[in-house]
Amino acid sequence: MNFDPSILTTHAGEIGDAFLVTVKTWLLGSALGLIVGLALALLIRSLGRWARLPLLALSELIRGTPFLVICFILYYGGPSIGIDLNAIFAGIVCIGFYSSVYFAEIFRSGFNAVPRGQLEAAECLGLGRWQLLVRIELPQMLVIILPALTNLLTVLCKETAILSIITVPELTAVLGGIGTRTFSFAETLVALCLAYLLLVELTARVGNWLERRVGGYLN
Amino acid sequence: MSQSPTTPQARFPAIRLDQVGKRFGDHQVLEGIDLEVAHSEVVCLIGPSGSGKSTLLRCMAFLEHYDQGEIYIEGALIGWEIDDQGRRRRASNRRLRQSRSNLGMVFQQFNLWPHMTALGNVSEALKRVKGLSRLDAERRGRQALERVGLLDKADAHPARLSGGQQQRVAIARALAMEPKIMLFDEPTSALDPELVGEVLAVMKRLASEGMTMVVVTHEMGFAARMADTLVFLDHGRIIARGAPAQVFGEEAPPRVRQFLQDYLERNALLIDANTEAPGAMPSSISAGDGAAAATKGMF
Amino acid sequence: MFDWTSFVHSLPLLGQALLVTLKASLAGNLFGFLIAIPVTALRLSSRPLARTLGASYIFVFRGVPLLVQLLVIYYLLPTTGLPNLSPMTAAVLALSLCSGAYIAEILRGGFLAIPPGQIEAARLLGIGAATTLVRIELPQAVRLTLPSLVNELVLLIKASALISVVGLADLSRVAQNLAASDYLFFQHYLVLALAYCLINLPLTFSGRLLERHLARSQYRAAE
Repeated sequence: MNFDPSILTTHAGEIGDAFLVTVKTWLLGSALGLIVGLALALLIRSLGRWARLPLLALSELIRGTPFLVICFILYYGGPSIGIDLNAIFAGIVCIGFYSSVYFAEIFRSGFNAVPRGQLEAAECLGLGRWQLLVRIELPQMLVIILPALTNLLTVLCKETAILSIITVPELTAVLGGIGTRTFSFAETLVALCLAYLLLVELTARVGNWLERRVGGYLN
Repeated sequence: MSQSPTTPQARFPAIRLDQVGKRFGDHQVLEGIDLEVAHSEVVCLIGPSGSGKSTLLRCMAFLEHYDQGEIYIEGALIGWEIDDQGRRRRASNRRLRQSRSNLGMVFQQFNLWPHMTALGNVSEALKRVKGLSRLDAERRGRQALERVGLLDKADAHPARLSGGQQQRVAIARALAMEPKIMLFDEPTSALDPELVGEVLAVMKRLASEGMTMVVVTHEMGFAARMADTLVFLDHGRIIARGAPAQVFGEEAPPRVRQFLQDYLERNALLIDANTEAPGAMPSSISAGDGAAAATKGMF
Repeated sequence: MFDWTSFVHSLPLLGQALLVTLKASLAGNLFGFLIAIPVTALRLSSRPLARTLGASYIFVFRGVPLLVQLLVIYYLLPTTGLPNLSPMTAAVLALSLCSGAYIAEILRGGFLAIPPGQIEAARLLGIGAATTLVRIELPQAVRLTLPSLVNELVLLIKASALISVVGLADLSRVAQNLAASDYLFFQHYLVLALAYCLINLPLTFSGRLLERHLARSQYRAAE
């Protein structure tokens, strides 16, 4: 086995594009999931005990299903019920759809972690529902859930590799393709591992840094 | 209640409760509560734990939804609307906010918002509810902090403050909104004993300035000296009310006397253990000899 | 909408595929646990080098997507002159290595929750370090982290959907084949999702029950 890194430099353009696709599907998908997840958490909270059951059940079902299968349903199953997406957009939707229930779960526990009395105090002072949410609940719960959010982001970063199976031209698809074409598995796969380790580590560091910055008031 | 000073122009009592009741499932927490609080009156709600006194106070701010009777704050029914058929319906959020604007609430657990500074806590509602500019809100916020003696802590986050300081900020937060009535829910129960005094001092000042106050408290000395009216609750009913000398005096019902005696013994034991003060022995209080005198002696 | 004939015909195939999925993920979980014990020991060692070794293992196998790990094992290992692995061996190897890293992180929390006095007591009685680890610490760490371990098993069963890339006819692959043969994509993939939920949801719920039970008994112990 020989190791020839030049295979990477000759395909640098292709690999760079793929890296951007990975980052794009990851971050845009996560942003989508975050927004939908927050809306879902707020919706579930506003519903009565029985009215929320269907949503909770659906959320359990999605969390019991592998990401790959979610991708199959949305990408291959979609056209059969009239939804047709280009691969990158489909990748973003897949990540967003899948992560929304996990985000919602994190937000739900975050809401529960803000002491009830603080909200009563705000109510007594006349703050409205929206002000309560934006000024009292969200700032505090974001600090509380930051570690969980960081963790979910790293998980989603790795999940983007699975998008290669539904033909999204991201890192795993492109580097895997180069490897198969040129039989230089060692170079491409090592580069692939390093790229993901880099992204995951970077996310963890940014998360840690944020935790230190915003959590200062707690001590 | 007759001895409390009443402003002549006030057409309503500050608070009026008419046959208020509340159930939690099968449990009747409050039953048939009638009570009037005049302007500038200080009413202390006392009684054993689980007697419903905190629930009653929280009903006055509609933090608990009372399901029988009526509570009027400054003449207006709080929390409910009665329609033509006499059915009750939740009042709109706007109306509830309006009723609550007469009230300032202070909680046992302070309930400060930990992500804001002391000044941030105090000026938040001035900005968002009263619509003051940031500058005006902060100016009024500082005034409120000054009233509780904490102007120098304006920029500190709650985690940096002692329990007593946190509670004083919480009082300032409520005062800044210029309520007509202040409700205190066991304001010193979560505090270390050495921090109780500073909070009580602020409350005494408020009372002497003529603030209408309803206080749920375990501090019998404070209640005996500060209250115009004491209200003793047991099992969700008022079983004694009147001036402290009356409620703590010889005419006190046996249940009240028992409660006081238990209270004195607990505290006497504490004092005994700490200082061996001979005067505080429970045996020195005979049931007939006016527990109020003994309470005063203790504080 | 729903083609029942196709569904009934697919059942025997799905049944066999279910066995492949279960076999791979359960074996992966078991070996992952066995890998996790020494990794945790390294991670908690007093020697810096050992700690770095343990941390590096966890960093790599948690940081690289399982799909990429599978590709490395299936495509790269044969080129190094090692004997060819059967698809099942490759799959179980990848799942074990990966879950080993996750389980090690879980166990670490469990080990740290054990009062150090107990270990000192064992040492004073002359029990060796390895015996203390296996007989005194491990059972408690597992008990404390059981809900997380159950959760990890669920994650691994879901992750096993990827083993089809090394050529195994697991649930996902069989559903793909079925969909390709009669173009009922939506139906087959929905059934596939439900099949995973059928295994995972009972596990998830029992994990939550365990967690509640554990929280209660710890509360009692603290009183």
